[in-house]
Amino acid sequence: MTESKVYLLESKSGDLVEASLFDDIQDEHLELWSSTWAPLMRSFRESLDTFTPEDSHWNWKDKVSEWRNFLGYQFYSIVCSGELQGLMLTTDLYSARIQEQFGKPIVYVHLLSTAPWNRPELEPVPRYKGVGRILILCATQASIEIGYKGRVGLHSLPKAEVFYEKKCGFTRLGKDSSYYNLTYFELTQTQAESFRRNY
Amino acid sequence: MKLQFQKDWFAKSAEIEGVSEVGAGLPPNCHALEPLAREAISVLDTRIAFGQFVELWRRNTGWNPERLACEAGIETEEVLEIEHDPHYEPEPDAIFKLARVFDVPAQKLLELAGLVTNRTPQLREEAIRFAARSESISALTEPEKEAFEAFVATLNTEKA
Repeated sequence: MTESKVYLLESKSGDLVEASLFDDIQDEHLELWSSTWAPLMRSFRESLDTFTPEDSHWNWKDKVSEWRNFLGYQFYSIVCSGELQGLMLTTDLYSARIQEQFGKPIVYVHLLSTAPWNRPELEPVPRYKGVGRILILCATQASIEIGYKGRVGLHSLPKAEVFYEKKCGFTRLGKDSSYYNLTYFELTQTQAESFRRNY
Repeated sequence: MKLQFQKDWFAKSAEIEGVSEVGAGLPPNCHALEPLAREAISVLDTRIAFGQFVELWRRNTGWNPERLACEAGIETEEVLEIEHDPHYEPEPDAIFKLARVFDVPAQKLLELAGLVTNRTPQLREEAIRFAARSESISALTEPEKEAFEAFVATLNTEKA
């Protein structure tokens, strides 16, 4: 497991705080998920009448035990101030759909999630900002390292579509009837380069 | 994997992200169907490779879509749909006709087209490797030709 130093923006203080990005989800991370993230998500799910966090049903413990031993699948986690801040599962076995890179292999983001205290729909002032883009940066880095030149694809949850299109520069390819009608987004090599330059 | 970016990058990035929902993956209440979701993606992937195989075979032979359609006894539109639209589900009959023209096992083409359950464990990986090495340009390059020939050999493994 490799650890990289990254930074998140703490909303309350306006300071950048050091965090760790791991290219794995280990048992200690799952313990953090079980002890804080999951109970809070469960309480939101039970108390909110009008909506439910779109990923509140994901059980990361099950997902890790299900996917950990599959070749081509990779977990990532971000830890800051002793708490888990974000989780991601990617795979490098899928193909691009945009015409200019059609059929080329991509890193596909299978699951991406941030801790409930970083969610604007659950917390009026999310604790940390920047988790989502760091995980996407991580997906582009993995894509580059295996020779996929930064190409990344994913199915966005409905409330996150603006983030992927406007704040990460993905191309929106429309609703995918083969995948629960979620909107599919893809990042080309050029778009990944722009993203990595923070444009 | 090691990320090596300056602190400034993260400051700017967090500013761009602002207050955003960022979730990607399975929609609410469908975790029980997760294996189906995986299967749907898998079919699309092999179908992309199938389309590229048909296109490369045709170009390698020097045929246009009309000629391939005519030789196989299917509609030109179907050839074009197969080559360019992974969401298009071809008719099994068309696959049998194309397999005869290509002289490859129909069963493998049916698997690639997502019309039968994948019985060849390595076929999907081989198909994706093949798709990764193929480009949509008018003439086959040497690497494309190599990828194409290697994939034809894979398709014919059980035939030999």
